[in-house]
Amino acid sequence: MRIKSVNISEYIKYQSIRIAKGVAAGLILILIASATHAQEIDLLLKGGHLIDPKNNIDSKMDVAVVGDKIFRIAKDIPANSSKKTVDISGMYITPGLIDMHAHVFHGTDPNSMTANSYGGLQPDAFSFRAGVTTLVDAGSSGWRNFPLFKAQTIDRAQTRVLAFLNVVGHGMLSRFDQQDVTDMNPEMNAYMIKKLHPTIIIGIKSAHYWGGFTSVDKAVESGKLADVPVIVDFGEHTPANSIESLFMDHFRPGDIFTHTFSEINGGRESIVDEKSRKVKPFVFAAQKRGIIFDVGHGAGAFNFNQAIPAFRQGFLPNVISTDLYNLSMNAAMKDMTNVMSKFLAIGMSLQDVILRTTWNPAQVIKRTDLGHLSIGSEADIAVFNLKKGNFGYMDVRRTKISGTEKLEAELTLRAGRVVWDLNGISSPEWQMPAVTN
Amino acid sequence: MDKLFKFKRSKSFFVVKPFIIAIIFFAGSTMVKAQDVDLLLKGGHLIDAKNNIDRKMDVAIKAGKIFRVAADIPASSAKKVLDVSGLIVAPGLINMHTHVYAGSNPGFTDGTSSQLPDAFAPRSGITTVVDAGTTGWRTFPDFKAKIIDNSMTRVLAFLSIAAGGYSVDKAQENIAEMDVQKTVETINKYPDNLVGVRIGRYDGTEWTPFDRASEAANLVNKPLFVECHLPMYSLEDQLSRMRAGDIMTHAFENVSERMTVVDDQGKVRPFVLAAQKRGVLFDVGHGGGGFWFNQGIPSFKQGLLPNSFGTDEHRTSMNSGMKTMLNVMSKYLNMGMTLPEVIARGSWNAAKSIKREDLGNLSEGSVADIAVLSLNKGKFGFVDSGNNKIEGDKKLEADLTIRGGRIIWDLNGLAANPYKQ
Repeated sequence: MRIKSVNISEYIKYQSIRIAKGVAAGLILILIASATHAQEIDLLLKGGHLIDPKNNIDSKMDVAVVGDKIFRIAKDIPANSSKKTVDISGMYITPGLIDMHAHVFHGTDPNSMTANSYGGLQPDAFSFRAGVTTLVDAGSSGWRNFPLFKAQTIDRAQTRVLAFLNVVGHGMLSRFDQQDVTDMNPEMNAYMIKKLHPTIIIGIKSAHYWGGFTSVDKAVESGKLADVPVIVDFGEHTPANSIESLFMDHFRPGDIFTHTFSEINGGRESIVDEKSRKVKPFVFAAQKRGIIFDVGHGAGAFNFNQAIPAFRQGFLPNVISTDLYNLSMNAAMKDMTNVMSKFLAIGMSLQDVILRTTWNPAQVIKRTDLGHLSIGSEADIAVFNLKKGNFGYMDVRRTKISGTEKLEAELTLRAGRVVWDLNGISSPEWQMPAVTN
Repeated sequence: MDKLFKFKRSKSFFVVKPFIIAIIFFAGSTMVKAQDVDLLLKGGHLIDAKNNIDRKMDVAIKAGKIFRVAADIPASSAKKVLDVSGLIVAPGLINMHTHVYAGSNPGFTDGTSSQLPDAFAPRSGITTVVDAGTTGWRTFPDFKAKIIDNSMTRVLAFLSIAAGGYSVDKAQENIAEMDVQKTVETINKYPDNLVGVRIGRYDGTEWTPFDRASEAANLVNKPLFVECHLPMYSLEDQLSRMRAGDIMTHAFENVSERMTVVDDQGKVRPFVLAAQKRGVLFDVGHGGGGFWFNQGIPSFKQGLLPNSFGTDEHRTSMNSGMKTMLNVMSKYLNMGMTLPEVIARGSWNAAKSIKREDLGNLSEGSVADIAVLSLNKGKFGFVDSGNNKIEGDKKLEADLTIRGGRIIWDLNGLAANPYKQ
């Protein structure tokens, strides 16, 4: 491993240049101060097309950052008002993405599914390179092991990591452990959230339950006590439990159904009827009622036979997310930009895709401080290329559709700091040092 | 976490399927030869340095091995055919410098500074990663059990002469723990995984640690891998103690800990060129601070070329100027290295340097570790550890990665069936 430092001759050279620069800068500063304002902006992203759904912006706009905050958004902010300007013309600029469904409780328990195990991935390895600045862990930890998750992952990550707390105290140790109704403790879940970690834990997860509605109901009970939404990976009981009952009787408006486009044999009812390929009428009614539909792509939960008919019939998911974990990372899912591009290929507009990865998830998890670039908000920003070409996108059965566009994360800022710069657009050109003989 | 690979099929499919199979089998057996190839990569441009191939060639895979390489292998001989025309077919890449003892501790040892091999390798065309001495004789068995044995990526390793491997604490500098015998025993016990000995952090002036590492490497007839963090040893002394085949990583760094390979006048130091001539190998070892254009570019122009493109993969390098091994290789493409040279150094040269000549080539009978790459054209930028940028018009991307005959990465669904409503 190599960390940055500079050798002594470089340092001396650098210092002498700095002194000269300092004098020059001083002179320039006097000139500028007399002519224009001082350079009050730290970083200016100039010429990009801003998509900020919360603020109804979908046009060319400059974005100015001071410190870790959005300072100004305007049509033309002069470059000379900023210490540093990055030309992003031809690119899209959006709020930093929120991946609302991921598994990042990385650890070394060989017998665990995603709680403190290799099933959970390291957040920074996947987030910034896909424009993601906030990852929400979907219930890998429960109240018993959330403190470990926080110490070992959340506190060490550069990515903002939030979490749904598993309704089961042990979190996602195994499918078997998820059945333990005696370990579903609404009071402890609510205390963990309200008393200890109200800024990090944003909801409750119920998953992989083999019985009826007990797990969901305990999650909703926890959610009511803590005033947070629940997210449910529903259906491992044969015959399948009714999703209509889940949406209409058990969920509150604002609760989340994930793996929306899965179609699997055994236990899970699909939202699109497998014979007629029609979206079931109560699904529209549920969405109207305020039930949130999350993609949660994963390794087995995204099927074109569900997603494409649904889209064509006017049913759009509220949130686009990855369900990032060890088995999904190298399969059809790959990363957030790939999942988003898949929806572009299905026919969703770029604006609709960005809404579903920024402002929508922010509202769903009641973190309305995130997912937009309002003045004064934290400068979590993504800049994308929309590449043109021939691209293929797979679902979990390894069938593919083709597309002509693909999003690529060009630049990612987390709290005003550049944390990913694919082509070095924020870096100066290298100059060959003069060779003296 | 969702439910994996359980799909609904209609009952009629199960009834019809055996008939279809029977008919196909019957027809196939009468018309053509049996389909003895599992997977055929057809129409790609093969670059296989070991076999001196740099032209359009089909590659057939059977039972996890390279079955045949020829100009035109009939599609009818394969169970599955992938059209890879317009793409480069190369041996699976070898990343010579990584830190992959990933776990939950702070730091590198079973820690969060190391990265999971499968999280970055398949998507970059890499089928083999070499861990750069994150473990020593005491910690290697744990690393093997936790990471090596559970990764799709082939994980090899240099063993640190320090008992606990690379870490940031001073304990690793305890000379008493730098045990030649135990290092040799460990390497002999795990010959399939361990490819050499690594000397890393040592702040002292005496040469015992270096000499012990070198002695251990010599005893097992494997290379010595020389890392940075040896501030009291001069570069010239280090190189003079290295044998032909030993590897100096972070070759093009510009840091206080080690003299640069390029002098203040922009010339590669003659003793460095002499060492290269003698057979000492240079690895990029890019990392967060280990690759500078003011070293890499003059070196390239004056003939000091990296033998391998180790990325020094770890938590802080991954999102910096390094990014991926293909990004590092693309830097060299845009600096002027030819594509066949770049591929050779990313595969066969790397394999030879760790004496794993079973890897890094697509000879018939070799394990089917393959990278299918596209060479994208456009306007790209590449950044060094000093945050300087060069521009370029070429960039490599991994379309398909095959490990032991199995597809472990498929960017655009080359091997997928088209969706039908």
